[in-house]
Amino acid sequence: MRVLAIDTSLPAVSVCIYDGDAQQVVVRETLPMQKGHAEALMPMMERVQRLGGGFASLDRVAVTVGPGSFTGIRIGVAAARGIALACGIKAVGVSTLAALATPLLFSADELIVVAAIDASHGNVFLSAYNSNGRVLTSPRLISLSDACRLLATGQVIATGSGAEGLRETARALGQEILVDHCEAWPDIAAVAKLGAAADPETAPARPLYLKAPDVTLSGRAALPRAVS
Amino acid sequence: MQALRVLGIESTCDETAAAVVEADAAGRGKILSNAVLSQIAEHAAYGGVVPEIAARAHIDALDPLIRRALDEAGCTLADIDAVAAAAGPGLIGGVMIGLTMGKAIALATKKPFVAVNHLEGHALTPRLTDGVEFPYLLLLVSGGHSQLISVEGVGEYRRLGSTVDDALGEAFDKAAKLLGLPYPGGPQVEKAAALGDPERFEFPRPMAGRRNPDFSFSGLKTAVRLEAEKIAPLTDQDVFDLCASFQAAAVDVIVDRCRAALRLLAEKPPTALVAAGGVAANGAIRRGLARLCLESGLQLALPPIGLCSDNGAMIAWAGLERFRLGFVDGMDFAARPRWPLDSRQDPRWHGKA
Ligand SMILES: Nc1ncnc2c1ncn2[C@@H]1O[C@H](COP(=O)(O)OP(=O)(O)O)[C@@H](O)[C@H]1O
Ligand SMILES: [Mg+2]
Repeated sequence: MRVLAIDTSLPAVSVCIYDGDAQQVVVRETLPMQKGHAEALMPMMERVQRLGGGFASLDRVAVTVGPGSFTGIRIGVAAARGIALACGIKAVGVSTLAALATPLLFSADELIVVAAIDASHGNVFLSAYNSNGRVLTSPRLISLSDACRLLATGQVIATGSGAEGLRETARALGQEILVDHCEAWPDIAAVAKLGAAADPETAPARPLYLKAPDVTLSGRAALPRAVS
Repeated sequence: MQALRVLGIESTCDETAAAVVEADAAGRGKILSNAVLSQIAEHAAYGGVVPEIAARAHIDALDPLIRRALDEAGCTLADIDAVAAAAGPGLIGGVMIGLTMGKAIALATKKPFVAVNHLEGHALTPRLTDGVEFPYLLLLVSGGHSQLISVEGVGEYRRLGSTVDDALGEAFDKAAKLLGLPYPGGPQVEKAAALGDPERFEFPRPMAGRRNPDFSFSGLKTAVRLEAEKIAPLTDQDVFDLCASFQAAAVDVIVDRCRAALRLLAEKPPTALVAAGGVAANGAIRRGLARLCLESGLQLALPPIGLCSDNGAMIAWAGLERFRLGFVDGMDFAARPRWPLDSRQDPRWHGKA
């Protein structure tokens, strides 16, 4: 199976084409960026598909659905669903946290792998996996201190932009957490592999926000009405 | 001329929409499908469009809606000559969704992509519905815009006048909110006005008689508030009368401002007066424009109500007109939350539209 993978959920834009049978990335590109994902994604897609054999060869599109930047997630999902519609193939959603954790799984140390994305104000988007990849803590938005309490038992290695904050908070509570120092965004090959393995029925390409929209009510109130 | 079919995508505000439009060999337009999903219910509780809620709704709804538009048009993407998407102006989160999906579909099907200015969609609609010829005078009145524009060709727009403060739809919506009418206010004000006395309150006609065809609605809105505060608590009849008097003032202003624009165009008269935007659905305004055209012998083109508010057909049609002239855009086209139809700015508009 040939998979086109897309990630725009964190401070980078990545696209790759992955050959699931050969278990090989055919072509990949990543550009780190804080903003400008929407402008960068489609030109990158154009380059990657040109080098990777075009859209006709694809069997599936995989996209990170979050948690992450709401706008970033939607850009990736919009592109993935558009390509799926145009090519008559399925789009599947991949958890950004699972993609971050993937490179650390199946190591000999049998550590608990925690993917944590900084969500500001002392919060992280977090998910925890055992070393076989089984989900121990499903994706959630949680305060750093609550997260440390949750992870108090067991040796933990954390990855992602929230890992350092997690370590500091843990230290203050007398816990020790290892930190994996890789990029703050997922390896696009991991997104592709998870996407190839996903079941389209249970892993739709739908944003996973984990947070209600911010709503600020404004304007004057209505004038009083006479009771009739 | 060759017959053309274009898929159009709209997601700049609170309507998710997709449509397929065709031009026959003679260039005449036809809507093959026009699928619109309004988010009014999602925003109603907040009394206005909440950008994040709008973006969430667009991403959930858009691709099923595109499939529906293709189905209803009885075609597949193979039958489409180009893909058009609104690239602004509007709420950036929503714009990016339609723009990105439109680009993705175009790239994956190897079709040309056309980025469309949402306002150009409104501006060119009467050529789709009524085959109006250039040049014509466009009254664009919506939630975000109040403008009079001389439409002289595809991509050739000359703004004659603009609001210096609120847009007309905004004034309708704010008046409605003040009077406790549900969101969105415009249609509610019209309904209430039908039961009221337009002469009970004497509201100002801002800008009336001025040479420049500009608008100002904030004073009118304030006048409604002051009168209403004076007589509160309001009975139903008070609300009806306030709405009727407000709407009467709005109609007078619109007609007067159109007259001013027509005077500016006297050297080379337009072929027609055209109204577009959500407020152009208002019956009293439509009747006011009809009277004006009758007395000045000008053709009046009023798009059907469903094509006044935001829709995909207008984006598809504007995309088609642009594509026909050779305008296509690249995958790097960036969303433009602010995107005036004309590059001309006048200090008296204070950057308003
Ligand atoms: N019958 C009507 N009378 C007056 N205003 C109306 C009517 N129908 C819709 N509107 C107004 O039109 C606006 C929406 O039009 P639309 O073209 O979607 O605007 P925008 O895209 O700028 O938000 C709202 O302000 C709404 O209240
Ligand atoms: Mg509009």
